[in-house]
Amino acid sequence: MVIGIKDALKFIGISIVVCCAAFVCTLFLNYNLDLKSFGNIPDAAIPLYNAQLSMGKAIAAISGCGLALTSVVLLVFYLKNYINAHGKQLGILKAMGYSRFSVAKHFWIFGLSVFLGAAIGFLAAYLYMPTFYRVQNADGLLPEFAVRFHFELLLYLIVLPTLAFACLAVLYAIWKLKAPVLNLLRENCTKTIKAHKERDESFLKGLGSATLKSKKLLIFLIAFSAFCFSSMVQMSLSMFDLASETFAWMILMIGLILAFMTLLMSLSSVVKGNAKTIAIMRIFGYEYSVCSNRILGAYRPFSYVGFVVGTLYQFALLKIMLGVFFADVDIPVYTFDWKALAVALFAFVAVYELVLFLYAQRIKKLPLKSVMEE
Amino acid sequence: MIAAKGICKFYGSGENRQEVLKGVDLNVSDGEFVVILGVSGSGKSTLLNILSGLERADSGSVQYDGTDILRLSDSELTKFRKAQVGFIFQQYYLLPHLSVEKNVRMGADLAGNRNYADVIEAVGLADKRKKYPGELSGGEQQRVAIARALAKQPKVLFCDEPTGALDEGTGRQILDYISKLQKSSGISVIMVTHNQNIADMADSVVRLNSGTVLEVRENGKQKSAYEIGW
Repeated sequence: MVIGIKDALKFIGISIVVCCAAFVCTLFLNYNLDLKSFGNIPDAAIPLYNAQLSMGKAIAAISGCGLALTSVVLLVFYLKNYINAHGKQLGILKAMGYSRFSVAKHFWIFGLSVFLGAAIGFLAAYLYMPTFYRVQNADGLLPEFAVRFHFELLLYLIVLPTLAFACLAVLYAIWKLKAPVLNLLRENCTKTIKAHKERDESFLKGLGSATLKSKKLLIFLIAFSAFCFSSMVQMSLSMFDLASETFAWMILMIGLILAFMTLLMSLSSVVKGNAKTIAIMRIFGYEYSVCSNRILGAYRPFSYVGFVVGTLYQFALLKIMLGVFFADVDIPVYTFDWKALAVALFAFVAVYELVLFLYAQRIKKLPLKSVMEE
Repeated sequence: MIAAKGICKFYGSGENRQEVLKGVDLNVSDGEFVVILGVSGSGKSTLLNILSGLERADSGSVQYDGTDILRLSDSELTKFRKAQVGFIFQQYYLLPHLSVEKNVRMGADLAGNRNYADVIEAVGLADKRKKYPGELSGGEQQRVAIARALAKQPKVLFCDEPTGALDEGTGRQILDYISKLQKSSGISVIMVTHNQNIADMADSVVRLNSGTVLEVRENGKQKSAYEIGW
């Protein structure tokens, strides 16, 4: 079995998240490095200078770390699915005598998805940088300064993440391939499921909770997508009043990309992972609406929890950022934006339910016979 | 009473178009045990799928007490399957994250059957009702599949090579369960197999070859699962 670039390209979700992370970090860190190179700052500009430096660090750290962690979770999620889907081939290789490392080392190629995302985000940041610099110094308080290229950012934001993720992919594969050959060769359905206490409830109720327990990572991803949507949309709406429009649009776009990407990826995985369950239920005579409600609907409460956490997170973040970093700068006082919450909630309910509806249609169209024959 | 008439089914298109069923006629009476025999590629599984409403034929009719299921919409077909049929497959298709009891309740809840525990007991798995499919042997998993199908209280039970993945001893045991439960509940059973010996257990045998019915014969005396050859 040879893992090719085609396989790495399937990890497009990671590329998108890494692209967002690289874009934000490059933008703010490059700005900070250029800002720091100033010798003399006019007294009137010192509060703004300090605030921008602190905010740049905070945004790069928060979004960079958050998105990097998300990328790690996504990588593990993708790799787990990949190994499950190719378990037989990997099992045969092990059975033939290939060592774990000799098989796992090919997984380095998944680091390419990180390279692709980081490179695009890095380039996009440099293309956008002149506009960003103008917006950051719109009041003209700071001296004019041009965009300079910082080689260390290339190292920290492209080379090191690519190497780190390539190593992570190999190490994860080595760990997963520890499984006995027979377990790899077996179909998913015959793998031993960890026993848990089962309540005396109907089949459909039991199915809902079993679906959730069987793929806990999906709960995180779906809640995370709601978190991204909620926090980024509300933050960007508040930014329209508090900061520049450009800044607000940037946050909005990143939030929407992350939210949609994770939501679509998670729901696709839910439908794909439960295709056989849905098929057998439909063969027995369960209506497709029942199947989709039980399988997809089980995640709904977690998406709303994600939305609430996102709301609280963005409020706390804005409060801290504006209260601490911009305490000495003349900007409007920030209070909780109920209008932004209402808009975000309405948009979230509409979008989330629409996406669920579209996936329910996918369930309706699942070809029973071919699903069973897989 | 099931009456299938002139069933034709094609797969593929253009040069690859292949006629899998060539005008098959078949009648199954209430409470009858029918075995459809045929080698691999004879069209027997396709016929079973069409008779059970899982697949649509390109022409012909499949009447259940006068209702042609080939003319039903998808949602009507779902209701039909819910009310009329049960399935047992060679690969079991149990839900791996649910216990034996929950898997059986999948069928029982559809029919509003609260006595699913009796069915689990009938297949000899009362002490394993809290186990998961991955913790059971192949024969036990197939017994769960039988219990799941029977808990649904179907009028017709469709079995697609139910012993195909089992050893002789377990296979005989499974056939014995199906046969006894069929007799006690009075349901019709339509079983597809390539094992000619199993045909000796049936009321009637339909021999299929290259999509055509070669022979329909009735067995004067049915043998038990432990009397047939293997």
